[in-house]
Amino acid sequence: MRKIHVRVAMVYIVIAIIFLIVRSFIVPPSFGEYGWYRGDSVSEIMNLSVKHAGSYSCSNCHQTEYKAWTTGKHSTVNCESCHGPLKYHVDDPGGSKVEVNATREFCGLCHNENPSRPEGFPQINLESHGNGFTCVTCHNPHYPWFD
Amino acid sequence: MKSTRREFIKNFGKIIPVVFFGLSFKKFIETVSAKENASTHHPGGDYDWNQHYYAFVVDSTKCIGCGRCVVACKEENDVPKEPFYFRTWVERYVWLNGEEEVKVDSPNGGFNGFPVIYDEKEIRKSYYVPKLCNQCDRPPCVQVCPVGATYKTNDGVVLVDEKYCIGCRYCIQACPYGARYLYPKHGEREPRRNTADKCTWCYHRITKGLKPACVEVCPVGARKFGDLKNPDDEINRILDENRVDVLKPEAGTRPKVFYLGIDGAEVR
Repeated sequence: MRKIHVRVAMVYIVIAIIFLIVRSFIVPPSFGEYGWYRGDSVSEIMNLSVKHAGSYSCSNCHQTEYKAWTTGKHSTVNCESCHGPLKYHVDDPGGSKVEVNATREFCGLCHNENPSRPEGFPQINLESHGNGFTCVTCHNPHYPWFD
Repeated sequence: MKSTRREFIKNFGKIIPVVFFGLSFKKFIETVSAKENASTHHPGGDYDWNQHYYAFVVDSTKCIGCGRCVVACKEENDVPKEPFYFRTWVERYVWLNGEEEVKVDSPNGGFNGFPVIYDEKEIRKSYYVPKLCNQCDRPPCVQVCPVGATYKTNDGVVLVDEKYCIGCRYCIQACPYGARYLYPKHGEREPRRNTADKCTWCYHRITKGLKPACVEVCPVGARKFGDLKNPDDEINRILDENRVDVLKPEAGTRPKVFYLGIDGAEVR
């Protein structure tokens, strides 16, 4: 083996070592922990904040509405389906305000007549029904009645 | 001991490879043993992802097209509110009288509900089809990612690592269902900007025992979510007692979102 071969081999080894050292710095330590990805990202995604608290968390304070809701025809509709995400309100009931959309259009999202909806679903023609009053004037959204 | 500079450099050159190979061998042993533990160890505290395997059922015969799922999803997951950015959306399928071709529309993904656009007498058949990531068992999006930023968890959910994604959009192209989008640079969540984003079945909720936000708010129970490894979960009964379809079975992706009451050949 001539000297030049040794030198080339040494240069090659040095480059390889530099590459591996640089690599060990830029590849995150948890990469490859469970597969070909950064293992820590799983727990990062698990720890994202929850914004919908679930209907049961409303029962602690709003007992009247909760009781009516569980026995009425809207019992399949969760509180947050209409009231929006409420985790912030459950965490801080006094300091936060919950807005409610009580327009006819909002009720119409589900109940306006639309031929694409399943046939048995209760629907009404918003234009001819109710004389333009808001739906909640006659119907209690927590315990609705209809024919 | 005295040595010349030349000798010192020579000796040093001999030591480095020895030390390096020693270290790399140690690391190799560590990775091998870590792989062996991979099935028993898991991220994130009390939650063991090896004890769960999730599935999703969409009952198209119940969906009323109110779009509450789309709204809840956007709220829960910081998805930008304007059109074109959706983790889940609702499509309306309409077959008109005397027309062969199906008409599909999804105004703002169903976010504002669906306006009536056809007279009932013109329509032969019509229903809504909610769409979301199918969390494929063989996900093409994971296969194409050049940097390992998207992956399948042990409980069967495909996730995106927003810190590792380089925003090359390859996965968006690869998804046969159009379930991915590029999180815009004005998006609310800063680290996610310019990376691929998609439905995670609300991974931050389901790992705490909650339901995904869309399932939570669906007023008619058209969306069902459950754990296949839990024999008491109703999802197992639903899948056992019904004939179910998946979208684009020909793509070979093995989706885990199962549909009830769709025309499998025409709804894609």
